Amino acid sequence: MPYPYKKMTQEDFDKIIEITDNERVWVGDEIAKEYYKDEMPEYGVFPPELYVEVLNKEEVSEIMKYAYEQNIPVVCRGAGTGLAGGATCKYGGIMLSVMRMNKIFPVDHKNQTITAQPGALLIDIQAAAKEEGLFYPPDPGEKTASIGGNVITNAGGMKAVRYGLTRDFVRCIEAVMPDGSIMNFSSNVVKNTTGFDVKDLVIGSEGILCILTEVTLKLLPAPTCSSTLVMPFRSLEECADMVPKVLDLPFVPTAIEFLERELIDIVERSLHKLFPVKHGEAVLIVMYDASSKEELDRAVEAAAEAALENGALDCNIAGTPERAASVWEVRGAILEGMKADSVAQEECDVVVPRSEIAEYVKQAKKIASAHGIRVEPCGHCGDGNIHTEMLRGPEMSDEEWKKATHESLTELYALSKKLGGQLSGEHGIGNGRLDFLEEFAGPRMIELYKSIKRAFDDKLILNPGKMIKIDEN
Amino acid sequence: MELIKFDAKRCSLCGKCVEKCPFGALSFEDNGIVVGDTCRMCGMCVRQCPEKAISFEQKAGSFDKDKWKDFLIFVEQERGDIHPVAFELIGEARKMASKVNFKVKCVIAGGAGTIENAHKLLDYGVDQVFAYEDESLEGFRADCYTDVVAECIAAQKPSSVLIGATALGRSLAPRLATRFHTGLTADCTTLDIKSNTDMVQIRPAFGGNIMAQISITKSRPQFATVRYRVMDAAQKVDNAKGEVVVCPVKEEMKQSPIEILKSEVIEKTKNIEDEDVLVVAGRGVRNEKDVEMCEELAKALGGQLAFTRPMIENGFGDVAHQVGLSGRTVRPKLIITCGVSGAIQFTSCMTGSECIVAINNDPEAQIFNVAHYCIVDDLYKVVPYLTELVKEQKGDE
Amino acid sequence: MKILVCMKQVPAGTKVDIDPETGAMKRLSGETRTNPYDLFALEAALQLREKVGGSVTVLTMGPPQAEEMMRDAYTMGADDAVILSDRKFAGADVLATSYALSQGITAIGDIDLIICGKQTTDGDTAQVGPAIAEHLGIPHAAWVSEIVDADSESIQVKQDLVSVSQTSKIPYPCLITVDKDMCVPRLPSYLLQKQSKDRPVKIMTFEDMADQNLSKYGLVGSPTAVEKMFAPPEVEKQVYFDGDAKEKTKQLFDVLVNKKVI
Repeated sequence: MPYPYKKMTQEDFDKIIEITDNERVWVGDEIAKEYYKDEMPEYGVFPPELYVEVLNKEEVSEIMKYAYEQNIPVVCRGAGTGLAGGATCKYGGIMLSVMRMNKIFPVDHKNQTITAQPGALLIDIQAAAKEEGLFYPPDPGEKTASIGGNVITNAGGMKAVRYGLTRDFVRCIEAVMPDGSIMNFSSNVVKNTTGFDVKDLVIGSEGILCILTEVTLKLLPAPTCSSTLVMPFRSLEECADMVPKVLDLPFVPTAIEFLERELIDIVERSLHKLFPVKHGEAVLIVMYDASSKEELDRAVEAAAEAALENGALDCNIAGTPERAASVWEVRGAILEGMKADSVAQEECDVVVPRSEIAEYVKQAKKIASAHGIRVEPCGHCGDGNIHTEMLRGPEMSDEEWKKATHESLTELYALSKKLGGQLSGEHGIGNGRLDFLEEFAGPRMIELYKSIKRAFDDKLILNPGKMIKIDEN
Repeated sequence: MELIKFDAKRCSLCGKCVEKCPFGALSFEDNGIVVGDTCRMCGMCVRQCPEKAISFEQKAGSFDKDKWKDFLIFVEQERGDIHPVAFELIGEARKMASKVNFKVKCVIAGGAGTIENAHKLLDYGVDQVFAYEDESLEGFRADCYTDVVAECIAAQKPSSVLIGATALGRSLAPRLATRFHTGLTADCTTLDIKSNTDMVQIRPAFGGNIMAQISITKSRPQFATVRYRVMDAAQKVDNAKGEVVVCPVKEEMKQSPIEILKSEVIEKTKNIEDEDVLVVAGRGVRNEKDVEMCEELAKALGGQLAFTRPMIENGFGDVAHQVGLSGRTVRPKLIITCGVSGAIQFTSCMTGSECIVAINNDPEAQIFNVAHYCIVDDLYKVVPYLTELVKEQKGDE
Repeated sequence: MKILVCMKQVPAGTKVDIDPETGAMKRLSGETRTNPYDLFALEAALQLREKVGGSVTVLTMGPPQAEEMMRDAYTMGADDAVILSDRKFAGADVLATSYALSQGITAIGDIDLIICGKQTTDGDTAQVGPAIAEHLGIPHAAWVSEIVDADSESIQVKQDLVSVSQTSKIPYPCLITVDKDMCVPRLPSYLLQKQSKDRPVKIMTFEDMADQNLSKYGLVGSPTAVEKMFAPPEVEKQVYFDGDAKEKTKQLFDVLVNKKVI
């Protein structure tokens, strides 16, 4: 009977200090407020009872053993940059930070892999690979995210079109189970048909199955040149229709994004970051990486020709780092621009089959406006992951906003399902989308999720109340 | 015309010049070493050649340097006051002048109050000040100012003309140097003078990655613009003996096709990216009152207060005032971090700063790894006292 | 109206290493790029052409390889491109460079407005623009932060002179140098790239200059000489101060005053 969990006592605090160190344990009010939430306080603000910064897997194991015995919930936390309200202590208990476990081991050239502890930052992993002429492609935009967080949420990002997700780069995982046992899921091998692929189950499990203590990642040879194309169209629909045409070319794009003029205007107006293409109601941004100038030129020409054939007003070529930066800076500033331009925001990050992007975008606008909300779809259309940003105007009351977003989200998720899509392409379920998932996945699937959770965590002490709700009575 | 000459008899084909050429312009060909199109005439090969087989084909000028004497400083006025770079130029000129027995003269031009300002300059040990006061010189029109200063130069025949490397100075100096068909070294950070009255002018190039020593040996005057705040300002002298010469502004000097429509004082609403001085409050700054304490230091220094991410999250400021990956990247001349721990997300966006000061009571804080000057102490003791010292210094001026 | 934009190809990187023993500069990579400030100048020119009509000519001085940069200017929308290319121009400092450019501008003829970037990333002098204006005997405004208005007779510009911003009206012919941030340079257009594929880039040599006095060009016409280059002095790092809080603060203050940062 896991719930209610044990309320932590001085004895528990002392025990954790004994396992670790007085200097690395904070209790009650001493705990900094930033650990109460992730990047989305909307999805819950929960104070932990104890916050501890661990140094190695042995400490993690000892803490888990004790928590398992005492029935204390534990939430593992990386850099805290999640967008789903995942890394928070919904039921109090211990917040276990792995940010001091940030060692990056030397690149293994023979296997073309890099091994790191979960607290290493993505930006540092990328830099370490680059130093050796190699490349770790997954890049969800938030470079200060921890690699552990990237793996446990299966982070995606813009370059997924060409390179895939974090999942595609994880060779093996070392993790601590809720009872304290230390496990290895797969090893540094390229193929594996040995039993269940537990590693893939753990990737993207949002910290409810086990705690990562080390990951080994696949690396690629670094591309030597790249170019970003901006194709202006008369409408967002035309833009979306272009996506399959780009994918049809014999060159694999690294990223495909779209932006509506309205969003560009918001960024230009509120942040004074100017976009280098002035025409078109909507633009498609296509990026190519290549290992030679010739290969790149061929891809650029093919894409430009295809754009013109399909109604683009032109094809603008950002072939230098400065020019590409002037494009991506505006793309990267969208969230900040929208924050400056509205009272509150809610985001839906469904993923739909690439053939359905145009249909989804059209309908999404209708749905939101029917509920009186301004909506700005943007995003990674190369992989069908559309970020539908809902913006709250100053005229809406709290109640109205809550009601309108909830109703819109319900309809948007239903739309995605109808079009053969999924509820979340990137941000995950966490605490923010629990109810929606139940509806979306259906009772049998939820039952299956619960069984998997119990198979790992029979006492339900690891990050309880996230991704799936298990009845508390 | 070959501008770089190879003496085939002397050349041993050792290849040193080919190897050392920074621009990859030299190559071995059948008939010896050949200069390619990428040659920038930097002269590296000439100096490197052990056989002295390479030379510039350059005509020796015949120029009578002795006719050109003394230093002339262009004194800029900013909203009615003497721009402080002028005192630095005077200080530098006085140091050099004493080595070659030159006088230090100034030329000042502007609207009402110019003659009054000219008199103030005498206190700093200047020999002569030529003052051009006329309402047509109220705003800055490069052509009028060029005419005025050119007249003074033509009359005084200075050996060197020093101008502050300000926006105004860097607009005026090239016109003057061009008018006299002579050399100008922009944005100097070090000056000295040789006994033959050639100045040694050192300036940064390639974004400060390299320093170049430049000389103007065959023409006069030698023009230099000098960066603000690198030289020592002149001290006042006890028995100032100099004189102010009021010069008439001739009708033709007032004529300009440029019509000034409006002149406005720029309000200080700079982005933190554009600030010269930043004070950053980090997590060690605990509450509203402490933030004010840091703000006061920022104000005293004439800069702005910025924050780290946790501070923004706790509502002390907006993202536009956040330094870090999810905020802004800054490279001010001076950045003082107060109670900042120094996570990579922060440091990667400020390590380009010219002078980094870290104040933190945790000796292990990572910020100290990137700081130039480190104070391990309680910022509640350091910041107010530093503010006091800065204010005192300002009061002295 | 005929607008001319001066451009320069600069080394792609600014990282230059100096051999501490020989004082020799280590080889720069041969990669070049367009001086980034010049792209703002070209964008300003193109916007003006959209407003008042006319043509935009780009001009550079450099080796024939500069054609790549000029073709790039075509893809942004320039109408004509001229390269001043002659070994006789090599080794020029500001005076000789601006003289050759002004001679080139005279040879092109009938220019109303000249726009330059505020400076280059290799020389950083910010002098060539005003010097061209002086050679040509036309007025100039440097550090222009905004083009307020323009018609076929004159241009109104705003200049930021640190504490004062000054708006002036200048009749053509004149020269302005523009600051970055006044606009964002447009991206090259694929359509224009196709259209301009066969458009020639004109090369002008010493023979095309009206003034045939060799001593005014290149190294010989340059009054300044680089005597040597060296690495900038190492900056002090991680200097800790001793004593109590007040003593430390005082030491810090003295250092900062000494370094003229306060």
